[in-house]
Amino acid sequence: MNILLVEDDKRVAAFIVAQLSAAGHTCVHALDGEAGNQAASAGNYDVMVIDRMMPRVDGLSLIKSLRAQGNNTPVLVLSALGEVDDRVQGLHSGADDYLVKPFAMEELVARLEVLHRRVSLPGGDTQTKLVVQDLTMDLLRQEVQRDGTSITLQPREYKLLEFLMRHAGQVVTRAMLLEQVWGYHFDPQTNVIDVHVSRLRQKIDKDFEHPLLTTVRGAGYRLGTERVD
Amino acid sequence: MQIKEVLNSLTFRYIAKYVVVLSSTVFLLVGAYYVYFSYTSFEELGESVLEELETLELVYTGQSLIGVEQYIEDKMATPSVNRFYYLITDKQGKKVAGDLPAAPRYREFDDGWLGFEMALQNLGASVEVDFLAHPMPLGDGYRAIVARDYADIVNRAELMFRTLFRVMIATLILGITGGFFSAARTLDQVERLNREMSHIIRGEPGQRLQVEGEKGYIRAQAILMNQMLEKMETLMEGVRRVSDNIAHDLRTPLTRMRNDLSQLRARMASGDGEQLERIIEECDDLLSSFNALLRISALESGNRLAGGNDVELRALLQDVVELYEPLAHVQGIELQLDAPRSQICKGEADLLFQMFTNILDNAIKYTPPNGEIRVQLSGGEADAGQRIMFADSGPGIPMEERKKVFRRFYRVESSRGEHPGHGLGLSLVQAIAQYHYGSVKLTANNPGLRVLVNLP
Repeated sequence: MNILLVEDDKRVAAFIVAQLSAAGHTCVHALDGEAGNQAASAGNYDVMVIDRMMPRVDGLSLIKSLRAQGNNTPVLVLSALGEVDDRVQGLHSGADDYLVKPFAMEELVARLEVLHRRVSLPGGDTQTKLVVQDLTMDLLRQEVQRDGTSITLQPREYKLLEFLMRHAGQVVTRAMLLEQVWGYHFDPQTNVIDVHVSRLRQKIDKDFEHPLLTTVRGAGYRLGTERVD
Repeated sequence: MQIKEVLNSLTFRYIAKYVVVLSSTVFLLVGAYYVYFSYTSFEELGESVLEELETLELVYTGQSLIGVEQYIEDKMATPSVNRFYYLITDKQGKKVAGDLPAAPRYREFDDGWLGFEMALQNLGASVEVDFLAHPMPLGDGYRAIVARDYADIVNRAELMFRTLFRVMIATLILGITGGFFSAARTLDQVERLNREMSHIIRGEPGQRLQVEGEKGYIRAQAILMNQMLEKMETLMEGVRRVSDNIAHDLRTPLTRMRNDLSQLRARMASGDGEQLERIIEECDDLLSSFNALLRISALESGNRLAGGNDVELRALLQDVVELYEPLAHVQGIELQLDAPRSQICKGEADLLFQMFTNILDNAIKYTPPNGEIRVQLSGGEADAGQRIMFADSGPGIPMEERKKVFRRFYRVESSRGEHPGHGLGLSLVQAIAQYHYGSVKLTANNPGLRVLVNLP
């Protein structure tokens, strides 16, 4: 992935750049909003990571002006402001995702990959069938089959599987599942998600030799084999 | 305001006491004057009687009995309201001259003074009047008695006494009535201050007492209390800021450490990272504690909900229950939702979801296998507010601990070590409920615990 990072805190920026580079991504760093605007207009990036509070042009204004220029590169906002209002404001400015500082690196990488994938899959929303190896999901009939055997799922399990299949091969974190599948942004005290995932795993993996749904330690889950962009 | 309250108030009691003391003092003073007045009046009366006797004696010495008779006749002829009465008797005690009856019934006093009552004609009516008299021998066996009535003095003294008594009663009544009203006024002001104070105590630490419109010492007191509140808030703010700063400042290096550890683990062979895994989880727990702490602080110190969106509570609770149903199932707990109607409240769905999951999370944590948890949504009619109840069949929380569990990092002694948790769950629940102008209450479920959330 080709990533633009706009962040005024040099130490944080250096860390993120190092980590993203280590994960095999190219990362360009701009030190403030203005530099970020120039870099975004000049280069061609897959995703942008923009800090919210910066001198001169702040993150949200930068996103607004980029969107006004017709730049639709997915943006993830990094912010120390984590209240509900702050999130809503952030997403309203045209950002695609919002991550509160400090964050686990796995969370950032997973979210960036999902953002990147969302645009790189042409016609993602008009698809009628999702396929991951021998697992298929018919979106019109709402039917799931593995290796020709149909699997009955509860509505929420279906949504969970759909999200996992749309992001097959990528790591999805628990927070992402809560936000995307359940629609709430909150911190669960226990890993309730794990129970849902293991239920789903029971249904899709139990009688098969190759497990599709795997746990990625310290990060989340992945459906199918690791995808390399 | 109750009359009894006013009567019991300090101001009223003070004023009443003051009025009583003042009027008794005045009463004593005027009483002393009354005694003095009566005494001197009698003194004068007596002296005038003695003088008259001396005159009679002089007349007798000079002109013998005829002169005396003439003198008395002259005196009796002169109309006077307050005149002397006379009686001259001979050796046998027979009346010789004068206008007193020969032998009235005398009462004898000291120093030869006599007292008697006699009817006088006053404006055609007969009035019994008290007289003071003194006898004196004139010589040759003749004896003179001069008397003078003191009805006047008695009347004046009585008038004075009555006036005095009435004035005192009036003073008492007026004073105490005035005291009542001024006490009521003060009490009213104090009550208003009390109301405002309890409002502040109940969770509006930023509010101040109304100083405008208050006068005198109430105003001074309100200003002083406001200064105290200001000071307290600064101190509280200071403590909170310190703990927030600690959480905030530790969060970043802890995250960095966690990320480094995670990198380290990624480089390790898959079997070797188990210990590292535990350390990372520990870091995540710490981070989520810090995050919860900071969220609670942000919710408590910031403004409360302004506006908010319409949140459909039944749908929200259905989502909460659905999210936790598998977990409850795994632990053999029966989880039921009883929400017959759709109920809408103003709020932030994410925060309310967080609150309900915290409560349900606790309930599941403490309910033994084969237990049950009921979630009930009720209320919502007119002004009744929304009531959400979580009732579990766990061990419950002892009465004396129920208030304490809302404190940050407080954990019921018996659950320490037995159940994981950082002791912030219920603090966050309370902060979210209060942010929505609601409240949380814990009661017994016999057996178990009921968590009652009230939302407007």
